[in-house]
Amino acid sequence: MKPDTDIVEMLIRSAGRRAEPPADAHGQVFAAAHASFRAKIQGRRRAWILRASAAAALVVAVALVVRWAPPGVPQGKIAQVSRIVGEVELATADGWQPLTEPRSRLAAGSRVRTQAAGRVALTLGGGESLRLAARTEVMLDAPGRLYVQAGTIYVDSGERPSAARIEVVTPAGTARDVGTQFELHVEGAALRLRVREGLVMLDRGGRSLAGRAGEQLTVDGLGSVTRASISPTDPAWHWAEAVASMPDMDGKPASALIAWVARETGRRLQYESPIVEQRAAAVILHGDIRHLAPLEALEAMLATTDLRVELDGDTMEIRSRTVETR
Amino acid sequence: MAELVHLDRAVARRILGGDEAAFRDLFDRFFPRLYRFALARVPGDPDTARDIVQQTFCRAIERLDTYRGEATLYTWFCQICRNVVADHYRRNSRSGSRVVLLEDLPDARAVLESFAAPEADEPETGVLREQVHRIVEATLDALPGRYGEALEWKYIDGLSVREIAQRLSLGEKAAESLLTRARESFREAIAGII
Repeated sequence: MKPDTDIVEMLIRSAGRRAEPPADAHGQVFAAAHASFRAKIQGRRRAWILRASAAAALVVAVALVVRWAPPGVPQGKIAQVSRIVGEVELATADGWQPLTEPRSRLAAGSRVRTQAAGRVALTLGGGESLRLAARTEVMLDAPGRLYVQAGTIYVDSGERPSAARIEVVTPAGTARDVGTQFELHVEGAALRLRVREGLVMLDRGGRSLAGRAGEQLTVDGLGSVTRASISPTDPAWHWAEAVASMPDMDGKPASALIAWVARETGRRLQYESPIVEQRAAAVILHGDIRHLAPLEALEAMLATTDLRVELDGDTMEIRSRTVETR
Repeated sequence: MAELVHLDRAVARRILGGDEAAFRDLFDRFFPRLYRFALARVPGDPDTARDIVQQTFCRAIERLDTYRGEATLYTWFCQICRNVVADHYRRNSRSGSRVVLLEDLPDARAVLESFAAPEADEPETGVLREQVHRIVEATLDALPGRYGEALEWKYIDGLSVREIAQRLSLGEKAAESLLTRARESFREAIAGII
């Protein structure tokens, strides 16, 4: 053996770099460990409150316990499947099973994953839309909180800024929306956040980053952040539009479908004139066009009216096919 | 060591207090090390290694308020991991094929010496080299703080002290001192094994 002074160098050089665990293992273990962490903290808080209330019971009514008690682990269903495209699976006691039934209700703790050509849209308890791209796995932990172990998700939490926030926990950081549409892609310890509308706060390693509408943030495994811009009509959003679940429009005015399509495609809506807007509100929809993508559905519907749609950059304008619009 | 344990107790307190950043930091530091620790005990079975690490984290978090700081937090996690591995072998009734690690061999020094010797063709040399590779990996994983990374940067990547100082956000003197302590810790850890 070489002199003792060289043994450290010799051993480390000869052994080579330590092997890194696979990224999917990281994601799966993190989700489980984080769930244990949350449960532990909730349990400790509950225990603390019980101790405090027991002591206070000498002088204070039991009602205090009720007022201070944190929300327990939610029971029951917290999401509903709204659209399935391709191969989608649900974790069960017997392993991964195909998820084929639209409108299936999912309980807290459900794990859903998509295969190479699979996509799925879920409606969460607060009405928010959660969509999974191909090769994505999530766990619905509790109302308003989900884990993304790997892959790409899209969240549309609606236009209500005061609505309950969605918390997306990933191995690479936690994203919290502030009334928005955004996409999150997770790959091991790295992530990419694209914000289409509103604001998303991203917490990672004690740092808080803001992602604003039109921004793309890329955070690598070492925590370096790169910012770029992304248009709300960029083709990168198309996968989420393609799996969008249209609300039931039967009996609704055409203007409702027009507004939904504008939002789904990230476009600002404008009407050629107030008369055209009134016409759109007067047309009542009948039939089922939910199998179509948003713009296809709009064009199919408008073909039966004297209205037409014109796309110009980030704007979607509804015009009349005739000249009398004023 | 006493200082490390003191820091680890503070980390445990922060996690039990609900500090998300402290939890993430601990996970990021321990996960790759525990994964290698587990994989060495179920060789060639990465799925089982992953499940063992998952159970280790869940069990350790659940019992974190029992951590008293008698050893470093990583050592405490490793002990839980060993128990999970033992449970795994018990459940699968494979105690007969259980892996015996180099640390448990009486002639570990001879193995290290053979590792330093010129390459030989005997098949058993390859097995021994694999074991030494694993033991170096385990030793680096067991080093405190960022000692393991600093040693890899120095001896595998060939970075200068200045470059290591930049990566660690330290001055050059502090980085040099850290490297000295890292070498010393590595040598002590290896000596502890053989």
